[in-house]
Amino acid sequence: MSNTTQSEGLKVARLLMVLSSISPLFILWAIRGSKVVPDSYLIALCALMVTLPNLFLWLRIRAAKKHQVRRELVVGSAEDHRDHLLVYLFAMLLPFYPIDTGTWRDFVALISALAFVVFLFWHLNLHYMNIVFAIAGYRVFTILPPKDDNPISGRVSLVLITPRTSLLSGERVVAYRLSDTVYFEVKECQPRSTLTLQQS
Amino acid sequence: MPAPFDPNTATVIEFGVGIDDRRGQRFILVPIDADIQAALREMVITTREEMKGVEGNPTTYDPSQKYGAQEHLFLPLNDELAANVLKIHTATNLTSEPTALSNPVDVFCYFARMSDGKGHRLTAIRRATTFKGVLKSRLLQLTTDALKLVQEKIFKLDRDFDLLVDETGVNILRPAGFEFVGALEGAMLAAMPNNIKAIRADLSYVDFTSIEDYAKHHPRAARYLASIRIQQETKNIDKGYLKKLCKKTGVQVSEVNGKLVVDEGSIMDFLGVLDRRLYQVELVKGSPESFRAASRSRIGDTSRGASPSSKR
Repeated sequence: MSNTTQSEGLKVARLLMVLSSISPLFILWAIRGSKVVPDSYLIALCALMVTLPNLFLWLRIRAAKKHQVRRELVVGSAEDHRDHLLVYLFAMLLPFYPIDTGTWRDFVALISALAFVVFLFWHLNLHYMNIVFAIAGYRVFTILPPKDDNPISGRVSLVLITPRTSLLSGERVVAYRLSDTVYFEVKECQPRSTLTLQQS
Repeated sequence: MPAPFDPNTATVIEFGVGIDDRRGQRFILVPIDADIQAALREMVITTREEMKGVEGNPTTYDPSQKYGAQEHLFLPLNDELAANVLKIHTATNLTSEPTALSNPVDVFCYFARMSDGKGHRLTAIRRATTFKGVLKSRLLQLTTDALKLVQEKIFKLDRDFDLLVDETGVNILRPAGFEFVGALEGAMLAAMPNNIKAIRADLSYVDFTSIEDYAKHHPRAARYLASIRIQQETKNIDKGYLKKLCKKTGVQVSEVNGKLVVDEGSIMDFLGVLDRRLYQVELVKGSPESFRAASRSRIGDTSRGASPSSKR
């Protein structure tokens, strides 16, 4: 009865999340400019590529919160994947930023290479790798399922974006669903002061 | 004893379906919105109310008993008959797959799992009959000023669940639903050799060879054996009294080398004797009457009384 295969849904959503994750690259390109594409077009295109995917990501989190699409995850073991940001840096930003797009062929080659990397990030479910999460103080953990004899329990590792600094084995986390394997735990609202709390 | 889970305290409500396809039986979560979560919460509350509405106190589920459509039965969590249902309750990180409903014919049950975030949980399960029944109907929808056929797949939630599982145990509203979802027939056939072994240890003077062979192909006999073992009342059965009751109720047994051998045509009746289902009364002098009880409970029990028995 165990289920070890899983087809990841939300294909468009995941693609937009990957595009959201590479938005810093578009900011750098817009600043740097191109010899073949006029600034007015390039800046407009880069602004679109920064705004739309991030707007979608925000809407996705907002919709999950609004519709309470959340579930309880049980931590078997958790791996902190801050080092994935380095992968992201080396796979995305560093190789693409310095390429000089002096000719149209260079430009098309650059866009094609970027498309390949985007496909790989989409295909490998690396859509959670987003520098915005890191800036907002979130960490990315890969949660491995607990080892139990229950054949119904999930065997697929899940990704949790959380403000927590550590996750203990056996811990239960309630998180919003961004995709079938990526979950997002929101920061708890902190009262501005204990005085306000007492008064209420 | 822990308190029953209060659905109003649930902070997380998950919905899932049981699927039986060429990959075998799987239990998969399907994401749902807040409205469906509220509907599932209401279903749990309705199930509790219907259980309360059943006359008398809840009785322990007995696999050999014939039950009505709605009862209030109970099983402790450690009972092996609850094993399959308990797996759904205790499973962690169930696979989430929104496309699970793309082939509704394969869906055999649906369930809700609730948690209050403090370690208390409840699982509610329902056999998927009405749920996918709407798919066969031709539904109409009023769009602008004309009726149109609804092309989308539509599913229907029931009013209540068949059973609820929480820390207190398994509370059953519909025994048939519990037996179906819990795959009890297969479980009892699988457990049959162990049940015979346990009963044989108490009744060393009975030859169980023919009974074991018979029960391999007759689920009803396997149910009786499970019931006899669960009741744990075979320990001090007197051989003489057993022979006497068999004779009174027409059960054909013979004694070979000190062991009682049951005639193949009387195996179900013999199991009925051990399960306290065959009995005799003599209210009219010289006219003893033998009965088989389709349902029975011990007199003096605080639980509900037995339903009417049928005369043999």
